[in-house]
Amino acid sequence: MMRSLVLLLAPAAMLVAQTIDRTKIPDTPPVPAYKLPPVHQEKLGNGMEVVMVEDRRFPLVTLRLTFRNIDPREGIAETAASLLKEGAGSRTSQQIAEELADIGGALDAAAGKDTLTVSGNVLAENTGKLLELAADYVRRATFPEEEVTLRKQNRVQELAAERAQSSTLADEKLMGLIYGGHPYGRLLPSIKEIEAIKREQLIAFRDTWLVPNNAVLVIVGALPARSQLMAMLNQRFGDWKTKPVPSVPAPAIPATQRSITLVDRPGSAQADIHAGQLAVTRQSPDFFPLMVANTVLGGGASSRMFQNIREKEGFAYDAHSEFVARRSGGFFDAVTQVRDEVVQPALKAMMAEMETLAKEPVPGAELSNIKSYLSGIFVLQIASQDGLANELNMVKTQGLPNDYLETYVTRMRSVEPDQIQAVARKYMSPERSAIVVVGDAAKVGKQLESFGKVTKTKADE
Amino acid sequence: MKRICAVFPLLASVLGAADFQIPIEKYKLNNGLRVILSRDSAAPVMACYIIYDVGARVEEKGRTGFAHLFEHMMFQGSANAPKGLHFKTVESNGGVLNGSTHPDFTDYFEILPSNKLPVALFLESDRMRSLAITKETLANQKEAVKQERRLSFDNQPYATAIVDRWPQLAYKNFQNYHSLIGSFEDLNAATVDDVARFFKTYYAPNNAVLVIVGDFEPAQAKRLIEGYFGDIPAQPQPKHPDLTEPPITEARSTVYKDPLAKVPQLLIGYPGPVRRSADYNAMVMLDAVLTGGESSRFALNLIKGKQSLLGYEANLGWPFAGPSDYKNPGLYAMGLTHNPRFTGKQVLAQAEEEFRKIIDNGIPEKELARVRNLLRASQIKGLQSTMRRATLLGQYEILDGKPEYINSEIDEFLKVTASQIQAAAKKYLDPSKRITMEIVPAPPSNKENK
Repeated sequence: MMRSLVLLLAPAAMLVAQTIDRTKIPDTPPVPAYKLPPVHQEKLGNGMEVVMVEDRRFPLVTLRLTFRNIDPREGIAETAASLLKEGAGSRTSQQIAEELADIGGALDAAAGKDTLTVSGNVLAENTGKLLELAADYVRRATFPEEEVTLRKQNRVQELAAERAQSSTLADEKLMGLIYGGHPYGRLLPSIKEIEAIKREQLIAFRDTWLVPNNAVLVIVGALPARSQLMAMLNQRFGDWKTKPVPSVPAPAIPATQRSITLVDRPGSAQADIHAGQLAVTRQSPDFFPLMVANTVLGGGASSRMFQNIREKEGFAYDAHSEFVARRSGGFFDAVTQVRDEVVQPALKAMMAEMETLAKEPVPGAELSNIKSYLSGIFVLQIASQDGLANELNMVKTQGLPNDYLETYVTRMRSVEPDQIQAVARKYMSPERSAIVVVGDAAKVGKQLESFGKVTKTKADE
Repeated sequence: MKRICAVFPLLASVLGAADFQIPIEKYKLNNGLRVILSRDSAAPVMACYIIYDVGARVEEKGRTGFAHLFEHMMFQGSANAPKGLHFKTVESNGGVLNGSTHPDFTDYFEILPSNKLPVALFLESDRMRSLAITKETLANQKEAVKQERRLSFDNQPYATAIVDRWPQLAYKNFQNYHSLIGSFEDLNAATVDDVARFFKTYYAPNNAVLVIVGDFEPAQAKRLIEGYFGDIPAQPQPKHPDLTEPPITEARSTVYKDPLAKVPQLLIGYPGPVRRSADYNAMVMLDAVLTGGESSRFALNLIKGKQSLLGYEANLGWPFAGPSDYKNPGLYAMGLTHNPRFTGKQVLAQAEEEFRKIIDNGIPEKELARVRNLLRASQIKGLQSTMRRATLLGQYEILDGKPEYINSEIDEFLKVTASQIQAAAKKYLDPSKRITMEIVPAPPSNKENK
């Protein structure tokens, strides 16, 4: 007995005390697999889905109440979302704000292009109260006239402030080029659209989309006992009436055509460069290969874009790529911001990296490193209540299988070099990219001409 | 956009000190390296955080932006980890990393799976011991830093005004008023010798604190730390810069025409209290009453009420620090983005009216109870993060010599009375000591960009 204990302990101690070699990276076990906490699902009689995860590490509860389908057009959804907290049931905006502070909670709502989400958190002992407020928001939002007027007024100013940023202008232009007439093609509403919004439209929005059969609640944390939580939910949401939800017209999204657009922003201190195109959804068999390919190209500081465009050439501080998998169609976007003089070589380098990924298989060691990185950040993303709530919300609202998070790392790790080349050819192709540059046209316009025909637009077109 | 007042310091909950104590073990190596270990067996990841007692305020004339440029150089290779290896090693071990430069310190971190502690210690000790500084990497990182300046400041509305002009207005001592991102001229002028000297002077174990938070085995962690860092020689203790500011005798104001801004912003600041003094605690609470959350005075009376503000940021140390890393001389300051229907001067008058209300009438107990609650909730939420705990432990050791503040400071804040807040408002929100800058949108000129 004694002997085997000594044998067990000794190797570890010996290893540490005698074998620290300061000249090389120490060997360590591989990135461990992460066991997700158990996820329990329920459905209320009216169709509202509930996803619960127990996490008792902190006396907190985090929630996401999402409406899976909405009409995002004309700024109505985003306006309605931001007004849910400005008057609900018998509570005024001020009463809601004070009550949230009293219970140590936060509860906000925002609308994207596919969904509207009420996000919140609270000290665990006040979970019931937060649920009561959430129910008020989504069932009994009152949209007081003066709040509507103020929101519209402030939104107009906010839009002006957002469009003062070159990154917003670039994204706005790129989304329009990739998605055309699809709702995804409108990054931001126009000032006219905001100014035209009427209170009746917000009420109609609420009545059409904020219905229980369109809702999924994700709730994570130091939860009340299951039966108590279900009783709370039935009390606050149980008598909410089911109502059929319309479908949102969504034109087909054509393949991206090669184009070069220069958005003139006089006085710009540098140029923003984007090369983007339509990509895939999470359901696509190309999803995991493209996710890995994107990380090789431009995810993290050991990515090719960072190492080349920044660490080698010194063209940029930031050089990265994005793959955003949206429900109706994702997009890929390679991004950097460079000083005016090097727009041409920077864009050339960016496109060369994209082409290399298509032409040459990723070497084994590099691919292995990228997969370890993705395993690690997956754990980071779900390590907090917020992170886990977001991921579960995504699974439910993108119609992914229940074991998606469990199988994520395995599926990611099974991506092969030839698959990466294939998706690079399909979705990271300079010949089919919409290239958008935001900068001072007088300074950078000429450099773009070597790439083809340039369409010049002004910042507010 | 409106945001809740910058991160409240996080500390033990009023539920009872036992409910929420962050464990702290602190010791020192022979070479002076301070080590703080905080074990958390529930965390799947580990944060390795190292903070050096040197920041932007140490920079000399002709070398603005140097501390930040140096921070970049710390990622450019060391004797056993050539350029590129630091990034690659952390990421390929499933982690993330970064560094940041502040007025009074510079910090670096890796967040990795718990079983990767030796990797983090190898990388941090290798660069503390033997940073490789070459003309090529310096030239390359000068470009990266200049690009960062363009991206984060020159090409953004408000940012150049805030980083370059605002400190010049607020301070008279060069150490405090020079730009922490630096001028292109100074960045270009930096030499390899400058970098080597800075490294030798400031990046010594006796000028640093190493913090590990996560699921580690303490005895093994200590052996590893001794093994990796123990041989690094101490250097003479560097001096802190003289940050003495003459008292403000009359209000200062300026108008900044910003060609990239489309919406006006008003900055207001006042010389702030001594860190950790009773006044500091009162000012944290005053700021919470004024700007903390949507039931705050500014939210209810200026965003709603007068409908002038679109959003704001405010705290001790704004914009370069929060209350947790605020160090005097510093300001209690705020940036108020407002509807152009109002002039900056009108918005200033509105803000001062809010200050006046507190100075004259104090704060009702119910409201103060609400603010305390917000603070308590904020603390608990923030402490979820392994990284946040590591950051506070390191910063509180460097700035206070007391990492224990992570557990005790909340009690200090919650003890502050309404009349103490009122007194602090009267003392600090003094119009004769006020600094203001109106940032107004202006049409772009044909001026050459740098």
